Amino acid sequence: MRARTKKILFSFSLLVFLFFYIPIIFVVIFSFNDSKLGTVWTGFTLEWYGSILQNSQLISATMNSLYLAVVTTIIATILGTLAALALHRYTFIGKKSVEFLFYIPVVIPDIVVAIALLAIYGILNMSLGLNTAVPGHVAITISYVMLVVLARLSSFDNSLEEAAKDLGANEWQTFWKVTFPLIFPGILAGALLAFTISLDEFVISYFTLGPGDNTLPVLVYSMVRLGVSPEVNVLSTIIIAIMFVVVLIVGLNMRKRGDVK
Amino acid sequence: MLGVQMVQLENVMKQFDDTYVVDDLNLDIKSGEFLTLLGPSGCGKTTTLRMIAGFEKPTSGKILLNGKQVDELEPYKREVNTVFQSYSLFPHMTVFDNVAFGLKMKKVPKEEIQERVTKALKLVQLEEYGNRKPKQLSGGQQQRIAIARAIVNNPKVLLLDEPLGALDLKLRKQMQLELKHLQQTLNITFIYVTHDQEEALTMSDRIVVMNKGKIEQIGLPYEIYERPQTRFVADFIGQTNILEGTVTAINGEQATMKFADQVVEIPNTTDVTLNEEVYISVRPEKIKLSETPFEGSINLKGTFKEKIYVGSVTKIVVTMANGQDITVNESHDKIDELTNTNDVYVSWSPKNSVVLKK
Repeated sequence: MRARTKKILFSFSLLVFLFFYIPIIFVVIFSFNDSKLGTVWTGFTLEWYGSILQNSQLISATMNSLYLAVVTTIIATILGTLAALALHRYTFIGKKSVEFLFYIPVVIPDIVVAIALLAIYGILNMSLGLNTAVPGHVAITISYVMLVVLARLSSFDNSLEEAAKDLGANEWQTFWKVTFPLIFPGILAGALLAFTISLDEFVISYFTLGPGDNTLPVLVYSMVRLGVSPEVNVLSTIIIAIMFVVVLIVGLNMRKRGDVK
Repeated sequence: MLGVQMVQLENVMKQFDDTYVVDDLNLDIKSGEFLTLLGPSGCGKTTTLRMIAGFEKPTSGKILLNGKQVDELEPYKREVNTVFQSYSLFPHMTVFDNVAFGLKMKKVPKEEIQERVTKALKLVQLEEYGNRKPKQLSGGQQQRIAIARAIVNNPKVLLLDEPLGALDLKLRKQMQLELKHLQQTLNITFIYVTHDQEEALTMSDRIVVMNKGKIEQIGLPYEIYERPQTRFVADFIGQTNILEGTVTAINGEQATMKFADQVVEIPNTTDVTLNEEVYISVRPEKIKLSETPFEGSINLKGTFKEKIYVGSVTKIVVTMANGQDITVNESHDKIDELTNTNDVYVSWSPKNSVVLKK
């Protein structure tokens, strides 16, 4: 590549990088700001980190978010993986249509899912609570898991399963000893995606949670209507830190397994 | 142990969509035999192997293994093991764990696994490589591991699906002999699938030549080469010249046929009838090239067309009066000895013609 092209591309990448990270860096810096107003730097403090631990509303919203994310991830990962396996392994009439239907939730606006669910709950006369947000979260994450696992399966050599059976492994053993370990990075990536999408999900939660139930995004939304408080910055910083660590662990783990080249 | 029926296929048919890829196959394979299924791609040889392994179920017919019907059994319940074309080693396991896989599935005690895997790795000369991952090995080494992984289970029958296809020529030749020796040492029945006729001739006790789902001929390697029974077999195995003619006279063991306005003596081994249209197959190495006819030989006159140098011999193509080309294997300098290349004879002994019915 010519030196000039390289220089231009490098500067451009740097700009994109800054565009992504400058706001995040600001959030992190201002979480240590000794001012209630949050827009002007007045001094360093850890006061807000202490105060969110006292905030029972925040703590219960965090627990709710984690609960929803974990339940969603488990259900979506299992169902999405099974769907991917079925689509990969079997040929049946209407297979392409079924596959296509899995792409729809990826592009459909969350608001549509939220309103549809709300309508169903209304018809069934169900009262809203924390668990009424689960179907919506699963609905929008299952496709991601399915697509990621399916992508992994497409590079999977089916003769490996035949080799396992040839050596005396039954269907169950073949899956757990050969198929699962080899598609595990795909399942893990899908699960991680489902977890972050669920944790981040606002619209569906906002519509389908019960009146007293808050998730973090819903709570933050109600908090920022009164102005960005330092506590919101602290919360964001903690979430960023957790995500950073999770992605780092997964990345290192994949590299160790030799899946990342 | 040779003589016991180890694998029997009875009227085996396999249909994919509307076509029969295996069409009424009957085959008995003896214990300790090295049998090769040979044919062009799409002839049904791999499907036949996969049915014996259990990866495909026959549409109809029976498969018996050691006298027991197995065609409805799952692959993991059959006492056969397969060496796959792409090796299919488990990439997430070490070489040792790959080889140990079958024994672990059978819940063999740990010490015995250790012992048998070590022995199997030693047999393929890779005992130092137990801790490596498959992708750290070369193609030839991966191939050996795939063989070790199969034979460690002491299968009654070992199925090999073009196992040497991905190796370079030199390594392939070496592995052919190694596999043959291994088979003789272990005395396991080998069913070997290949499209490489030279490989089949080198390794096999018996060869089954397949075409379009059917068996064309079963025989010993030299029978397949020297006495092909059909035009397909003569053409597919090695190189040959096929001459088409009409039977003009029959005299006991001898007969004659008319080819390109000349009378050609042929052996009457297949009970030809007068005026029957037949083919004869003559191998290029059985034919001599000269300026004068040979006494007691068939001598056909033609014109030198070209010579093709292939290393060990030079192929000389001579065009007959009717326009057909006949290929002759000769020494490199033969053509330079000839003064008039427009007027040469191709000659062979009548007994070297193989008569093939239409």
